[in-house]
Amino acid sequence: MPEPAASGAAHDSARAKARFEAVSKRFGDGADAVQALEPITLDLAENAFVCLVGPSGCGKSTLLNIMAGFETATTGRALMDGVPVAGPDPKRGVVFQQGALFTWMNVLDNVAFGPLATGKSKAEAARIAAHHVELVGLTSFAKRFPYELSGGMQQRVGIARALANDPEILLMDEPFAALDAQTRELLQEEIKRIWQETKKTVLWITHSIEEAIFLATDIVVMSARPGRIKARFAPRFAASTDPGVVASVEFGRMKAEIFALLREEAIAAQSQEAVR
Amino acid sequence: MSGARAHRSRWLNLGSFAALLLFWFLITAPIGEKPLVPPLFLPSPMSVAQTFMTLLKNGYQGKSLAYHLGISLFRFGLAFALTVAVAVPVGLWMGMNASVKAVLDPPIEITRPMPKLALLPLLIIWFGIGEVAKIVIIVVALFPILSISAMQAVRGVGRRKIQAALALGASRTMIFRRVIFPASLPGIFTSIRVSIGIGVTMLVGAEMIATTAGIAYMAMSASDFLLTNVVIVGVLIMAVLGYALDLVARAIENRVVHWGGKEG
Repeated sequence: MPEPAASGAAHDSARAKARFEAVSKRFGDGADAVQALEPITLDLAENAFVCLVGPSGCGKSTLLNIMAGFETATTGRALMDGVPVAGPDPKRGVVFQQGALFTWMNVLDNVAFGPLATGKSKAEAARIAAHHVELVGLTSFAKRFPYELSGGMQQRVGIARALANDPEILLMDEPFAALDAQTRELLQEEIKRIWQETKKTVLWITHSIEEAIFLATDIVVMSARPGRIKARFAPRFAASTDPGVVASVEFGRMKAEIFALLREEAIAAQSQEAVR
Repeated sequence: MSGARAHRSRWLNLGSFAALLLFWFLITAPIGEKPLVPPLFLPSPMSVAQTFMTLLKNGYQGKSLAYHLGISLFRFGLAFALTVAVAVPVGLWMGMNASVKAVLDPPIEITRPMPKLALLPLLIIWFGIGEVAKIVIIVVALFPILSISAMQAVRGVGRRKIQAALALGASRTMIFRRVIFPASLPGIFTSIRVSIGIGVTMLVGAEMIATTAGIAYMAMSASDFLLTNVVIVGVLIMAVLGYALDLVARAIENRVVHWGGKEG
């Protein structure tokens, strides 16, 4: 059931780790301009795991890119600890869907890149990298190159690489979208464990409703373009370690509800495609 | 490719090669009275091999075969090394900096479609008939290819890789050194291999005019005396040279850019 806007830690702006303040985005200008995002205000509470779900083209990735500092908002601003985002910053780690690993470096060097970039010594960077490679269970593949790994292993490397800088926020843009279902479920459990251990603030984009309910403390459902916040949910499964929660009645009910909302939006998104 | 199929392809390759050699042998063999093709136009494989041995022993026009080959390799090697050392950094710089690209693009793009060998008479007036003109003509031919492909390699580096490096806190220098440069290497190596073929062609062209040594010179001057055997030895040496250079480049490529064409 959609939560009223007042409940949930995500709305407590006093403790917000990061905040979108009336952020909107318009691409192009004149007659060809496309309004990608309506002004959106959203708080990411400290330690929250916020999932954005919505139809393709609703501006989820744009929102994440604005927080990462890759794109600038047309109006409004993104804030972290009350300070406006002015560009990419190692305090905000980013994990991409795929194709973002450094193909010419082995696993260890990929993960050591961040520590080296932020001024750690070679030895220190190697130590941090080895620790994070272990955290994602890839120690025996440390000297392999990304093209020698499966898709799931590559995503683990991407996650380890982002974590190695010990960022305060993790921004993850459909990190598991290209993986098969089994790999995906295992990695979801793993990312949950890592989140429970490290207590990072996470902004996570996904197309998978199950993934969102399984992982998130807050789910933000977005509308078709121009993106607006359509509904919010606060699932209670993020703290659980039991993969069996997906079979619970509560899980199923929330899934059906979000599914119905997204279906409307997907139909709206399709008719937009047809008009264009 | 499966092992068996690779094996089969290898045998077909060899078979095709042997068939060509047999064809050459048959049309030049003295079957009956005269061979089908007179030796003046195409000597037999055995007689060419014999000429090769003689050249190896006695040299050509008082200079050893190794000298002719050496001078050709020197011209090509120096010109090639110079071009790679200058054109690749220039191309990388153009890829990184829009202003540099705006300045350097017009001269490179204007000269690119020009057949470079046409410049040789002019270069001979400018630099004389010594080594300089021959080296410059190769440089002029390869420069646009190498610089433009280095530039395109930079521009083709995945946006996500650069964003990832930015988000990890990398400085501009670090992004260039550890992301953009290595990511561009596969593209640069491809253009290096392409330019070997073009460079050897330019070398042959340059050695046919106003020189007294070099493998192509040997073939050209032997042609004046209708020494078809020597001409064919020269042509075969150039072919083997081009092939060997490509093999070397490919071996280096496989070692240096082992990740080329693979995504991860």
